[in-house]
Amino acid sequence: MLGGILDDLLTSPSTGPCITATRHFPARPPVLVPLPSSLDPRIGEALRARGMGELYSHQARAWELIEKGHHVVVVTPTASGKTLCYNLPALQALVHQPDARVLYLFPTKALAQDQLAELEALARQLPEMRMFTYDGDTPQDARRAVRARANLVLTNPDMLHSGILPHHTKWATLFQNLRYVVIDELHAYRGVFGSHLANVLRRLRRICRHYGSAPQFIMASATIANPGELARRLTGEPVEEITESGAPTGDKVFVCYNPPVVNRELGIRAPYLGEAAKLAIRFLREKIATIIFAQSRLATEVLLTAIKSGVADKTGDSGIVRGYRGGYLPTRRRAVEKGLREGEVLGVVSTNALELGVDIGHLDVAVLAGYPGGIASLWQQAGRAGRRSGRSAALLVATSAPLDQFMVTHPEYLFGTPPEHARVNPNNPFILVNHLKCAAFELPIGDDERFGELDVRRFLGALEDEGVLHHAGLRWHWAAETYPADHVSLRTVTTDNFVVIDTTARDEKQTKRRQIIAEVDWGSAFATIYPKAIYLVESEPFEVQELHFREDEEKVAYVKRVNVDYFTDAISAKGVWIVQRLADQSHPAYVAEQGEVLVAEKVVGFKKIKMGTLENVGSGEVELPQQEMQTTAAWLTIPPETLARVSQSREEVIDGLRAVTYLLHHLAPIFLLCDIRDLGSWLGDTTPVTSGAVATRESAKRRLMDAEQFNPTVYLYDSHAGGIGLAEHLFEILPDLLRSGLATLEACACPAGCPSCVGPVNEVGRRAKSTARSLLRALTD
Amino acid sequence: MAAHSLDDLRRVIRRIETRRPKRPAPAPIEEVLGGELVDTGSGPLLVVRREFPLSHQHGRQRLGAALEAPLELLSAMTRAELPLADARRLLFLDAETTGLAGGTGTYAFLVGAAWLEDDRLVLAQHFMRDFDEEPALLAALKPLLERASGVVTFNGSTFDLPLLETRFIMARGRWPAALPHLDLLRPARRVWASCFADCRLATLEREVIGLVRDDDIPGGFIPALYFDYLRSRRAAPLARVLAHNRDDILTLVGLLAWFGGALTTHEALTPAELGGLGRLWEPVDLERAMACYRGALEAGLTGALAQAIRLHLARWEKRFARWDAACSLWEEAARHVGFDPRPWEELAKFHEHRRRDFVTARAVVEDALGLAEAAGAPLRTVDAFTHRLGRLERRATIAAGRPSEPRE
Repeated sequence: MLGGILDDLLTSPSTGPCITATRHFPARPPVLVPLPSSLDPRIGEALRARGMGELYSHQARAWELIEKGHHVVVVTPTASGKTLCYNLPALQALVHQPDARVLYLFPTKALAQDQLAELEALARQLPEMRMFTYDGDTPQDARRAVRARANLVLTNPDMLHSGILPHHTKWATLFQNLRYVVIDELHAYRGVFGSHLANVLRRLRRICRHYGSAPQFIMASATIANPGELARRLTGEPVEEITESGAPTGDKVFVCYNPPVVNRELGIRAPYLGEAAKLAIRFLREKIATIIFAQSRLATEVLLTAIKSGVADKTGDSGIVRGYRGGYLPTRRRAVEKGLREGEVLGVVSTNALELGVDIGHLDVAVLAGYPGGIASLWQQAGRAGRRSGRSAALLVATSAPLDQFMVTHPEYLFGTPPEHARVNPNNPFILVNHLKCAAFELPIGDDERFGELDVRRFLGALEDEGVLHHAGLRWHWAAETYPADHVSLRTVTTDNFVVIDTTARDEKQTKRRQIIAEVDWGSAFATIYPKAIYLVESEPFEVQELHFREDEEKVAYVKRVNVDYFTDAISAKGVWIVQRLADQSHPAYVAEQGEVLVAEKVVGFKKIKMGTLENVGSGEVELPQQEMQTTAAWLTIPPETLARVSQSREEVIDGLRAVTYLLHHLAPIFLLCDIRDLGSWLGDTTPVTSGAVATRESAKRRLMDAEQFNPTVYLYDSHAGGIGLAEHLFEILPDLLRSGLATLEACACPAGCPSCVGPVNEVGRRAKSTARSLLRALTD
Repeated sequence: MAAHSLDDLRRVIRRIETRRPKRPAPAPIEEVLGGELVDTGSGPLLVVRREFPLSHQHGRQRLGAALEAPLELLSAMTRAELPLADARRLLFLDAETTGLAGGTGTYAFLVGAAWLEDDRLVLAQHFMRDFDEEPALLAALKPLLERASGVVTFNGSTFDLPLLETRFIMARGRWPAALPHLDLLRPARRVWASCFADCRLATLEREVIGLVRDDDIPGGFIPALYFDYLRSRRAAPLARVLAHNRDDILTLVGLLAWFGGALTTHEALTPAELGGLGRLWEPVDLERAMACYRGALEAGLTGALAQAIRLHLARWEKRFARWDAACSLWEEAARHVGFDPRPWEELAKFHEHRRRDFVTARAVVEDALGLAEAAGAPLRTVDAFTHRLGRLERRATIAAGRPSEPRE
């Protein structure tokens, strides 16, 4: 059935030409080895009872290295039995030493629940197993019992950070006897979250030292370029890598699908969401279990609407397709997961929320609506389809963005490039200083003590000057009334979630019960739940009536069910200002600099976009506060002489530079091996620090047009506050980036700019592509 | 940290690196606060020691009366895990801390402890002049805890004791975990929760001990005063913190003395306190508890508190099937100013289910409904009575056909 549809896609005249590449991954048999002789026979028995009389080679290798006392990271594909790599040593330790303690860390509470269930099934017949989750959902009165009884605790980094480490005396037995720290989904800890985790682990290791233990770290990761390096940076210890999987895989096909060009003049392709929906509907109508990955919350809802109606036309039942994303309430998500495992739900449209190892059973097809921004994510998402035997398929449907177009037209790059590096910067000063405060709260910091490998004395001095630390007797003590962990959120913005409350029923039925339908984090609230916005939950439209965001009030959006055929897209204004220059380099035609910038953003209005046709059907204004962050950036400033060689018209130059900015931003991830969302870009000018008014695209252009001194500057900045090290790298590769920008532009067949090179012609201007070409030639001379 | 940006942070760091603040020479704190430096074996510690004769009057209470408190009874009443005994070896404890946040970064910088020595109460306040004197403070406390027969605190079970335990574990010491403990907040809540707006120590001191402190420092300011002292080394403002801690401990002794008096003789108790005392007796001696409730009502207690006690007492009478007593309490309660549906409902149930006198029950419900509607009672209440009335009318009609036997 699956094969038939795939053959038809490849050969039919309507879809065949859209397929730019296919790659066949043949089935691979398992590499099995006997259970290790040192494994406790009771555990061996439990394994055999579950049909596992042998281990895959990577599981045995992990056992061997862990037994020798190494820290280990296991990097093998989805569904290759990674969890057994850490469950076996953990169970062995608990069976042999009833006093031993094991700590499991998962990035989400749901994963901890999943794993507890799996462990309990495996350990049912074993003695001395006292396994509990300990997280925000653990009732207050049960916490004491968990602390006293548990010898295996499953929790998350946030709870370790704010609930366990600052109360380590209550966990003294755990820290005295901590044998293993298990960190699953290691690849999730990159960027800001990873930089935080590295510091939480520095704190954990300090506390363990205080109690005289030195736990071994066992980690598991999806495929990334640098699992060993990431593991070493996070734990501060030498780590052994295991990358050879011994698990079997079924036969699999990967297909690149580029939507057909519908307007050659404008270089416009058929909307990728519509194409992705059509493909998914074909599979679902044949009862083939399919997961559809969308790249944003909004895209998830738009796709879900289309697929539900497409499936209902044929089967009369749209309930077999569900949505899944971060903002949904946990109960809704649990229901979808269960439905997928049990086969009641056949299809799911998800954001990258389902990239993590949440147990949803096995699916046959993955449709990736848009390149997920990174090679690692690509294989994670594609890996959601696949069984240990039997056929599966993954289809990448390209958007018209340059990065997507590059990928589907350069399959050798797509299939040949190693996945991204997961970057962390544990020494990001904002993050570091916050964790130093927590560390001092937990245990006074000695004068000659290092934090991880870092000498932090000058930070401690600064913190004393700020009045939160006090030096006495060769140690730095916490000397404030506050609880510092409460003021540090590991995921930048989890503390101030907005709840979305549906008031439809309240108005109609006069019920006073609060109908919470979703949660939205602070970071995306202003772009998604501004007043009059259409907020979609499982493709049902709600209109936001009020948004409460003031510091002294509960963060709430009141919404009402409406019947509309459009959704809304926020229009934001932006500004970038240089704060400090850290490095510069003069090139013949431009000056490249690197340093710190202030980025300000503000949502000022929205567009109404019709469902289905995606045409613009109206707009509105909103009044919301400006959000600012300081981060690192690389920028290039082009002197008047160079500009004069390109064009005499200031407007043409601005359009051309906009086009260049677009191109550089979209191509940079290929060089930095990062996600496109890790970067931001802006065409501004080199102005003094004091300016602070944000501007929309149009007003920014006007401002540049009217500027007395015309010093246009292209900024590419790290979108994580404080920076995670991307800007420094960008600064180094800028000449290469410019050259590849020129090559991409010249290779694109469109006459005057399309989304795949410099941006759509109706947005960047008619002459933008040729001006951009001249600019890039001048810059790369 | 107040730094909002990288350059703020950098500026702060630069400021520190160029100019480390000089620490002023320490003022002789022992003179300012009237204490002496004691060698604890783990370093020197400032101890401020005061003695009070047992005849000392703290407000209306004589300190010595605490000796007569029935400790075992109080332990049983508060369901203490380990019963206290031997009042002469009790340790009264109160800590002043660097905050209320809890966790390992909150220090007890001043621990006041009081115990009996011959015919005097000795009150010793242990003060760490800096964080590095914490080992000395813990070393000084350890023998006091070890020789005590038990500890008396106010809110110690959730605050002072866990905090001290944390400090001992942090210093790799051992906390005498099996120490009997009487947290006077527990019995105080039972007795006074319905008398006063709150059960804070300051409130009880004013209302029960009859003492008004002048120039007392609010507890919320105490951490900041200590931090100021650490930076400035000026000890004079700390005198108010020590006085506050001293008064807290004396009030602790005074409260125990009050319980001693109240549990042995009911004289000098207000009707409200007598009612509250009933709550205290309930877990150990129900008849005495009920006697307290009756005494409180007979002493002329009025208002919402009297109503609550009346209904509570009636519930016990009902459980013991003393129907006459229960009914008269309900009837009394039904006359309460402002409509209270509970006694009406109890009376209706009594007549309907117990006496099977549907006619009287119906009359009760009709009266109740009239009053409820007149008082603008919530719809739910009116609805419940209406429902009951409907059923009673059906049953009364059926019963009219055959003679009914009151059940006893």
